[in-house]
Amino acid sequence: MRVRTTAALAVLMAAALSAAGCSNDASMPGQGGGPAAPAAPSADCPLASAPDPGNSAPPANVPASTGAPKLAAKDTYRVAFSQNASNNPWRLAETASMQAEAQRLGYQLTVTDANNEQAKQIQDIKGLIAQRPDALFMAPITEQLGNVVVEAAHAGIPVFLLDRDVDTTAAKPGEDYVTVVVSDFVQQGRRAAWAMAQATGGNATIIELEGTTGSSPAIDRKKGFDESITQCPGMRVVVSQSADFTRAEGQSVTETLLQSHPDATAIYAHNDEMALGAISAIRAAGKVPGQDIKIVSIDGSKDALTAVDAGELYATVESNPRFGPKAFETMQQYAQQGQVPVQLVLEDRLFNRENAAQNIAEAY
Amino acid sequence: MSETVTARPPEPLATQRSRRGRSWAGLTRQYGAGVLLVLLFAYNALFTRNFLSFQTLLDVQLRQAAPVAIVALGMALVIAVAGIDLSVGSVMAIAGQVGALTLLAGVGPGLAILLALLTAAVCGIFNGTLVVRYGVQPIIATLILFIAGRGIAQLLSEGRLTGFRNPSFQFLGLGRIAGIPVPVVLMIVIAAVLWFVVRYTGYGRTLLATGGNPNAARLSGVRTGRVMMAAYVTCSVLAGLVGLVVIGITSASDANNVGLGIELDAIAAVAVSGTPLTGGRISVIGTLVGAVMLRLLQNTLIAQGAPRELAQIVTGVVIVVALFLQRRSR
Repeated sequence: MRVRTTAALAVLMAAALSAAGCSNDASMPGQGGGPAAPAAPSADCPLASAPDPGNSAPPANVPASTGAPKLAAKDTYRVAFSQNASNNPWRLAETASMQAEAQRLGYQLTVTDANNEQAKQIQDIKGLIAQRPDALFMAPITEQLGNVVVEAAHAGIPVFLLDRDVDTTAAKPGEDYVTVVVSDFVQQGRRAAWAMAQATGGNATIIELEGTTGSSPAIDRKKGFDESITQCPGMRVVVSQSADFTRAEGQSVTETLLQSHPDATAIYAHNDEMALGAISAIRAAGKVPGQDIKIVSIDGSKDALTAVDAGELYATVESNPRFGPKAFETMQQYAQQGQVPVQLVLEDRLFNRENAAQNIAEAY
Repeated sequence: MSETVTARPPEPLATQRSRRGRSWAGLTRQYGAGVLLVLLFAYNALFTRNFLSFQTLLDVQLRQAAPVAIVALGMALVIAVAGIDLSVGSVMAIAGQVGALTLLAGVGPGLAILLALLTAAVCGIFNGTLVVRYGVQPIIATLILFIAGRGIAQLLSEGRLTGFRNPSFQFLGLGRIAGIPVPVVLMIVIAAVLWFVVRYTGYGRTLLATGGNPNAARLSGVRTGRVMMAAYVTCSVLAGLVGLVVIGITSASDANNVGLGIELDAIAAVAVSGTPLTGGRISVIGTLVGAVMLRLLQNTLIAQGAPRELAQIVTGVVIVVALFLQRRSR
């Protein structure tokens, strides 16, 4: 009796595991069959011979902000910036960029940090509204900050959103807020795919390290990359797994995946930290990062540029944290012309071996 | 021979022996996690490519299990005295950050490691004092450092990743002794020492007596406060050591992420070893097996490309199965 139940449980578990394994059947051996792929551009991969797709074109057919509170053209301004968190290098670089640009222009800037808490950011913004700044910049923690944006508009303060949008049914673009400046994560994924095609000549068996499940950069960077590589039949993602945007997870997940997919020739990581983890995993597996396995990632951090310069990372697509210049330029333009498009995209660069070294010093 | 050491012999020795001799269901009671480990192993041997290479088993499976296993061993000590330590992940982050910062400040790698471990010990004393001296419930007492400790580590790091390169300092994470990765060596040595202490020393006996019935232990002359304090400090120091292992592997101290959620993995490893959280019992080898089994399970799912959400659900199911196997023959 006992033995039977125990055995039944064992069978159940084995069944659960094989169910989990089903999704992977397509990547079993036998497909990649032939000899090691040459690095020369493959004829059937247009991506490998195309130029860098660059930044996306400015969003077309975007209305201008006409109904938002106006901003007088002055020599100097008193402005405020509500940052949502300061617990990672990217956000620190974003805040530093706002401060540096304000200082350069001689503007007075008040910065608050919501410590990754929505309630705190709402309080922060209410406090800033009470101080009546000429303009209010905010990097909203979630889309749920629409109401407090409306509150600022009612107080006659023009709001500029940075790096994330708010729920547009609660706060109307161009009326309750002037504009939102964002990064184009999908385009970053497309450029990473292009860089991957350059690195591998259009023939690659790719392990994809995804960001935190459900986060917009993870979703969009996957979309851009996966769509682009369909142009090249020689490039395929054999396994795609989340490593939570961290170096430690990137390392342990890569170790495991290299073992189960020894034929992998490339890794696409949704951020630099996971790529750096992958590099140590590749080294631990006795392979040479950059030669045996080509790696492409996104962010453009200092450590990643150092790895690019050392030839371990093939390229990293910038996800520019320096919103300062664009933010203040947009504000001045709004003051002078009375309107700007309600959506703007920040420009990103692509770092490869040619330009990594000269950019290390100023990377974050 | 039962590996689980207990303060209260539950039944006469003769019955125990005959029961264990009778069916393998009796064995699963002791080794539920072990049975699952064997099943997982068999599954991977059959269906996962390159699984059965010595290198893979040592460098991937065991090395990745080592951090959780070492933390779980400390956790098992605290659980043996009827406590729990939620702060292990934060202690890892603090110790890692202290180690990285002192190293970058120019002190030698040996001293940096020592300072990091001392900081971890202070964390353990803080936990132990709250529990022993002020009678705060362990879950609340260690929750304080769980929350505040991460903040301390982040303050130290100023939100940045603290990167470094120093082979001696990173020996704990990247080194090898006789071809075996240092984390694995540490795991085995610590488990062996703990097994010996629990089984053959006076401390081991007082530890289980304290957890089993603190009043009885105190009345029979055991200084229960000291015993508990030693358990909390050991647990924190082991967590600190693992903090150094982890940052050594990645060449950077990431105060936001080091040790995040490890307390639950460690508690799960202790739980699947069949140790009740009420204290008075400890199973060193069971904890080790539990930690290795849970890591292998996660790796199996990762290797198969299963989504993270599914991995979490399956882990939950496996814990239930392990506990069920153990309860079956009670």
